[in-house]
Amino acid sequence: MSMVLFKREWKSNYKIFLIFIAIMTLYESIIVAMYDPKLGESLNMMAESMPQLFAAFGMTDPGLTLLDFLTNYLYGFILIIIPLVYIMIMCHRLMARYIDKGSMAYLLATPHKRSDIFITQLCVLLSGVIGLIVYSVVLILGCSSMMFHESIDIAKFLMTNVGLLGVHFFFASFCYLTACSFNEVKLSIGIGAGVGVISILIQMLSQVSDKIEFLKYFTPLTLFDAKGLQVYDQQSLLCMAGLFALAVICIVIGCMNFSKRDLPL
Amino acid sequence: MSVIKVSHITKDYGNQRGVFDVSFEMNEGEVLGFLGPNGSGKTTTIRQLMGFMKPDQGEVTILGMDCFNDSAKVQEKVGYLPGEIAFMEDMSGLEFIRFMAKMKNMKDMSKAEELMKFLELDARGKMKRMSKGMKQKIGIVIAFMQDTPILILDEPTSGLDPLMQNKFVELIQNAKKAGKTILMSSHIFEEVENTCDRVVMIKEGHIVATKTMDDLKKNRLKHYEIHFFDESEAIAFSQKYPQSQRDKKIIHLMLKGHTNQLLQDLSEYDIDDFNARPQSLEELFLHYYGGEQ
Repeated sequence: MSMVLFKREWKSNYKIFLIFIAIMTLYESIIVAMYDPKLGESLNMMAESMPQLFAAFGMTDPGLTLLDFLTNYLYGFILIIIPLVYIMIMCHRLMARYIDKGSMAYLLATPHKRSDIFITQLCVLLSGVIGLIVYSVVLILGCSSMMFHESIDIAKFLMTNVGLLGVHFFFASFCYLTACSFNEVKLSIGIGAGVGVISILIQMLSQVSDKIEFLKYFTPLTLFDAKGLQVYDQQSLLCMAGLFALAVICIVIGCMNFSKRDLPL
Repeated sequence: MSVIKVSHITKDYGNQRGVFDVSFEMNEGEVLGFLGPNGSGKTTTIRQLMGFMKPDQGEVTILGMDCFNDSAKVQEKVGYLPGEIAFMEDMSGLEFIRFMAKMKNMKDMSKAEELMKFLELDARGKMKRMSKGMKQKIGIVIAFMQDTPILILDEPTSGLDPLMQNKFVELIQNAKKAGKTILMSSHIFEEVENTCDRVVMIKEGHIVATKTMDDLKKNRLKHYEIHFFDESEAIAFSQKYPQSQRDKKIIHLMLKGHTNQLLQDLSEYDIDDFNARPQSLEELFLHYYGGEQ
């Protein structure tokens, strides 16, 4: 790990991070503000009138508490897609473009092992993902305590976010793995980002109808079961651990690939 | 012990591109010119020396260390100038130079500043807006600033104007005096002629010649251009020197030594004009480049 490189990457990319912070602030504060314990009923009615559309975005049971509401409206779609887009952009900026354009040559022409460079860029990526999710937790807690008397069950809420972190660690490691493994951006980012987007689409489809529910076995997002995590369901916890394990596997494979392969520099 | 050792490396890209069974060695303090046309395998060889890729067969070592597996240790000893300019364009030139210095664990920036002054480089602007020549200067500063014992330079003068090319030759000569081992790829013969001790020629991935510069200079022919007043005299002269080429009243002649004899012969004719110049390296190598055709 090279602190010099870590700092330079954050200095060069903090603006992108701030843009995502702004987008999340906008969405999350609006969603939290939309919560009204009395409104729950009318939302339920809306959901009943167009169940498939709501289901596609993971909003099956709007529920009654603030946590249920947030789980439905944020953790089903918005908090999956926004950090995923951040991950795609950062994988391009931290790895894919350096290999594609050739400036990786300068990084490797220094007394650092390839694995050092790999780990450093990965740390920049993961620290950004953690930053986004920690910020989102603080923001939601802040907004909800300012707007409502009803407080969120902190332990359950945090558990949900650990699960969310698992999803994004997996996406980040997978995108980073492909970013390290291919020479051209269209492949290195195309495959990683493609798998991320398709995962989301498959999940949306699988939620629409029972007939194609089996599709859920083809997306890693099924491993993130927010409602199960909130009741500490054992299977949900195992699935979450699975996400972290997959992330570690991707990182190990990525590091080995990157250290051993020929680079077009 | 040789500083750089390339032994029997093959890297096949298919379609007969790549390098095939390339071998050469460099001793300490030697300046080696690596010559060849575009696409002949110069950069491919250098990439293997820098540990960016592994040879399919053979071995590349620097100071006895494997260039791929021990690349981090090798890099401590090597200053590298890539053939393609690809910087981190969001930085200014100066920021990039400082960043690279920190990445190389350098503390003393005096050498970098000296180099910037020498190359008349003002690196404060954003690199995105810099001309090719300015970027090349930044690359040169980064390669030389750490004062490493080995320098690997891939087409170092591309993008530089003639004045800067001369300055660069000076830079190489100073580095040579300081005892550095320098590998320099090029397709410009003049810069090689003025700097290198030895030349390795590569063509289509195969080494076609390895010659010392002294050897080359010794075997060098002189090129004479003789203008006669009378075409019949030119014909008579060309019969005496069958290797010459005649274009009406003008005779082109390549000759090694025998200068006195030539002058005596010429004194018998009525000469309008007379030019003599040494054969360029380019002409010398033409039969390697042009061969097989």
